[in-house]
Amino acid sequence: MEEAKIGVFLSDCGKQLAGILDFKGIAGYLKKVPQVSLVAVGSEFRRGQGLKTIVDAVKDGKINRVVVAENIPKLGEINIVEAVENAGLNPNFVEVIDIKDHCAWPHRDTPKEATEKAKAMLLAATERVKLAEPIEKLEFPALKSVLVVGGGLAGMQAAEDLADMGFKVYLVEKEPFLGGLAAKAGRFFPTDDCAICIQSPASDVKTITHTSRKCVYRSGFSEIPNLNVLTNSRILKVEGAPGNYKVTVERKPRYVSEEKCVVCDLCTSVCPVEVPDEYNARLKKRKAIYINTPLVYPPVYVIDAEACKFEECAKCVEVCPTKAIELSQKSEKVTLNVGSIIVATGFREYDSSVIKEYHYGEYPDVITQLELARMIDGFGPTKGMIIRPSDRKPAKRIVFVQCVGSRDRRWNPYCSSICCMISLKHATLIKSAFPDTDITICYIDIRTTGREHEYYYERAREMGIKFVKGRPTEILHDPEANLLIVDVEDELLRRFLELEADLVVLSPAMVPVEDAKQLAEVLGLELDKDGFFKEYNAKLRPTETKKRGIFICGGATFPKDAPTTSLQAHSAAVKAAKFLLSGKIVKDQKTAYVNEDYCGDCEFCPVTCPYSAITLTEKADGHFVAHVDDLLCEGCGVCVGTCPVGAIELRHLKPSQILAQMKALLSVNGTSKPLILAFCCSECGHAAVDSSGMAMLRYPANVRIMRVPCTGILQVQHILEAFKAGAQGVMIVGCKPDGCHYEVGSQKAQKKAEIAKALLKEYGIESERLEMFNLVYMEGDKFAEAARAMTEKVERLGVLQLA
Amino acid sequence: MTSYALFLGCTIPARQPHYELAARKALTKLGIELVDLDNMTCCAPPPLQSIDLETSLAIAAYNICLAEEADLNIVTLCTGCFESLAMANTLLKEKEELRERVNKILLSVGKEFKGNKEVKHFLQVLMSDVGLSNIKKNITKPLNKLKVAAFSGCHLLRPSALLRFDDPERPRIFDNLIEALGAKSILYKNKLRCCGGLLRGYADDVALAIARDKIVNTTRAGADCISTLCPFCFLTLDLGQMLIKTTYKEEYNMPVIHYAELLSISLGVNPKELALDFHKVKLDPVLNKIG
Amino acid sequence: MAEGIQKKTSTKDFAKEITGRLGGETITLCYQCGTCAASCPVAKITDKYNPREIIRLALLGLKDEVLSGGAIWLCSSCYNCQERCPQKVEIADVIYALRNIAIREGNMPNIYAEFAAGLMSEGRIVPISKFLEKKRAEFGLPPLKPAGVEAVRKILSTAEFDKIQFKKGEAQ
Repeated sequence: MEEAKIGVFLSDCGKQLAGILDFKGIAGYLKKVPQVSLVAVGSEFRRGQGLKTIVDAVKDGKINRVVVAENIPKLGEINIVEAVENAGLNPNFVEVIDIKDHCAWPHRDTPKEATEKAKAMLLAATERVKLAEPIEKLEFPALKSVLVVGGGLAGMQAAEDLADMGFKVYLVEKEPFLGGLAAKAGRFFPTDDCAICIQSPASDVKTITHTSRKCVYRSGFSEIPNLNVLTNSRILKVEGAPGNYKVTVERKPRYVSEEKCVVCDLCTSVCPVEVPDEYNARLKKRKAIYINTPLVYPPVYVIDAEACKFEECAKCVEVCPTKAIELSQKSEKVTLNVGSIIVATGFREYDSSVIKEYHYGEYPDVITQLELARMIDGFGPTKGMIIRPSDRKPAKRIVFVQCVGSRDRRWNPYCSSICCMISLKHATLIKSAFPDTDITICYIDIRTTGREHEYYYERAREMGIKFVKGRPTEILHDPEANLLIVDVEDELLRRFLELEADLVVLSPAMVPVEDAKQLAEVLGLELDKDGFFKEYNAKLRPTETKKRGIFICGGATFPKDAPTTSLQAHSAAVKAAKFLLSGKIVKDQKTAYVNEDYCGDCEFCPVTCPYSAITLTEKADGHFVAHVDDLLCEGCGVCVGTCPVGAIELRHLKPSQILAQMKALLSVNGTSKPLILAFCCSECGHAAVDSSGMAMLRYPANVRIMRVPCTGILQVQHILEAFKAGAQGVMIVGCKPDGCHYEVGSQKAQKKAEIAKALLKEYGIESERLEMFNLVYMEGDKFAEAARAMTEKVERLGVLQLA
Repeated sequence: MTSYALFLGCTIPARQPHYELAARKALTKLGIELVDLDNMTCCAPPPLQSIDLETSLAIAAYNICLAEEADLNIVTLCTGCFESLAMANTLLKEKEELRERVNKILLSVGKEFKGNKEVKHFLQVLMSDVGLSNIKKNITKPLNKLKVAAFSGCHLLRPSALLRFDDPERPRIFDNLIEALGAKSILYKNKLRCCGGLLRGYADDVALAIARDKIVNTTRAGADCISTLCPFCFLTLDLGQMLIKTTYKEEYNMPVIHYAELLSISLGVNPKELALDFHKVKLDPVLNKIG
Repeated sequence: MAEGIQKKTSTKDFAKEITGRLGGETITLCYQCGTCAASCPVAKITDKYNPREIIRLALLGLKDEVLSGGAIWLCSSCYNCQERCPQKVEIADVIYALRNIAIREGNMPNIYAEFAAGLMSEGRIVPISKFLEKKRAEFGLPPLKPAGVEAVRKILSTAEFDKIQFKKGEAQ
């Protein structure tokens, strides 16, 4: 590599900074620094003529390294790096620093000291680029195909979006039919559209219509080009990398051919086996060969392998007019190659039988909302009649109980968010159809927070539905009258009620599906403390996960209503599309790499990496070395801080660069105060320094800022080197412990600081010379205060003499 | 022969020697050795917990220390004593800071709570150390399908997080032990509800109303007798019927009999040896039915 | 009632005083669902007692009303409320904490003074008569072992139990 020829460009912000910093003096100083071949001072360099100056200097070969002191560094950096790269220089040879917010503004009362500090800052920047090496741009394949796990409301909508956009989509559903909870639940609040509408994406396939809704069976969902629906299937294994996954799917046999079945129903009429119909709350029986409801997707019957007698009977095979029944079908494994995965597995009702005082599962007339929904469904087991399961008589007095196993610290502490509306929906639907039904809802709170939800509640009251504010302690059964009695305190009346009921409907908590944990393991996803799939950041990165390329949406992240589910489905689809659109993933190789000669296969770094980017690979001689996946690595450096032998380094911030910058920052004093080095993480820590400058706060110029990607990169070594290089005090400024932008770095740094303090004590150095601070951008004032306080403290401790 | 330190508490020796008598006879017959330790005191039940909870735990812990020193687990007859001692035992075993505070108090009497012993109710001893089949084997006078309204009282089961005796919503142990004697444990309204006993002396009218409910419900269910485990429940329901007669002018004549007494009788002990005169409601109908 | 809450002065930090006492730590979790009231055998019989209302008064800071009223003495310690509470509020234990505070502030029903007296003099809250002690032999019961009265007294004094003013209070 040719020798460095550094160009330094100083922006004085339209001469604003010239009143504080002596630019002439700084320029003179820089010209004397070895390998600096050009120094320019101007109003600004991030655009216009200023930028052209830099580009020309690069093109003319005058310089091959660029240091710019620019106001609004980040914006400047983007423009400058792009321009310089186009001019043929590697982007890692550019360093942009901020001498306005980090020097001139906070130290404006001591302009001489500020000038000296500016010199140190610029010297450090030159050291960094001098030692920099070129960084490559990597390209990874991004297959334009997506796997959607879960064929309910969210899954279907996300699948349709992506298929419409031209991506190849595999929609994998574990049940034999699509639709999920939406198909079971019937009408949806607050507009009471039916399940058939609400599941499907609204478009009319292959025509350009703008209708607001479309029955799923009339939308031609499964005919959407690029959409492959795999029902009766589940994910076994996922291998590969984001953009290029290899997924193994197991398809359970349906025993009925999807190509031949004409949905004629002859098979069920001859099937001799009857089992309780679980789908329909066991309110009726079904045959071993069955469909759930008259309209199903795909329109193909399925055989229940546990109930069917197979070859011993085979009556259905005989009568099937198209010979669609294939009893010899076997499970098969299918491999899918996809670029991205969307999890849309939804949620389910909590098993209320654990709440023994409510006797669910014991008293047949105590049912859940989903079971009631099956009764309300005109195509359901009772044809829309609301009956008591115990004697099939019409239920004329119904009591709803809210928050069953929800908002309950014994079972599920959270609020399931939709159950109030579900009760109101069911109550109003029943009251409309059967006005002489007496309905009471027992509640702790009524939560109707969404759009138009309050009107729904109002309508319920207008229809004469009664509300009791009180949570029932017990549901009793009067065996003689075969009646249920709900024992509850009406808090508003301050009276105890014993509500007689034909039917009691429980609103159970909504919890993750049974196999959420297993799926999370297969995909390497995190679950939150309630077992739902964890969004990376609910505000800023909704429907994303910490794993690039894997997205989550709908009820799988938390119980939610249909509009919000829709939103999340479309969000996940857009994100998957963004991820895969260009067909490749382009990334700067600003990652960690392992020097295999030093690596002692201790396993610390794979375990600490917040992005699971490090794996151990076996070498020919049998020993293991760490290996960094460039696609997954975020370049934070936590691994560097963890490695006990220094075998792993960051390409964009090498140990030599760290050391050189440290020394440079401490080489020019110019103040009477002790020099303090502050390691600041590039996220919150550095942002706090930015904001202290932007807010024109003051702190002394002896505090020198050393930016690192994450404080997790720090080894105890770095701290001790700082003292050796002339720091009288060391500050570590990182994110809040539970808010580290790289997940664990801030906490790791805290540990290192504690160890370093203990070591300092051993060496006879006061451990108070080292402090860690956890700040966010908004706490610029706290940074300034910390810098002042640290200075005062170190002054009091006196000059540090190192032997 | 398994040995336990017998914890008698206050009410049984003071008022219901018939309970102690029946229990000693029955347990001895079933091979349980009951050791009487010196210096045991009141268990510090709710009335004392109401004055100071922490001191009450210290008193309970003191009694447990006596058993720890004798290297014996504790068995109680009164379920109130069971709750006080078992609750203290569990709390002090599991909450370090609380244990330290209580041990500081116990230091003044030269004791230290170590948490290495169990507190059991005698029903637990019957289940774990004797076993239902052994009990059945030893029955010489089965109770002839006596319809028993089992009433364990509150403190056998609750607070279930600390007592961990049986399922608080669907308890079966007491009913199984009754049926092992050849009786029938019947269902009746509000079976698990409190008898109101602890309100006696402060709000006698309320206590009596609650007790009356229980007598009414068991009568309506057709019970031959109510079987109790707690001396307070016994007093409230047995003596209580005398008060119900004078206050409500209602006479129920519902015999109230401790499980230990039923157990003794079914194991062949002559009722005449059981000091049954202490019962206010005469037990003749029960004894006649048993035969 | 026109005066409403202004009539009773609310004590700031009453909730804190309760949560700082053994037994009272969980009172602030209460969200007034009413399960405890419906599970309470005493509340079902008399409207003088309602555990939910007691907690409400306490959380609103109405210390005087809670501590000098008769309601807190009506709990029968059956623990049904604590079993059923969806927020795991230790209601029966909170009642103990409230009683402990009430007694220290000089409000205590007579019967409790009697219990305390029995404990301090004999180590038992129910004294055993000499007559009955003699009768034990007749039944074939072994003689009663002596109670650890000294130990109880020492414990009570170390715990400063005896310093509590056992005033005969005015609780209704």
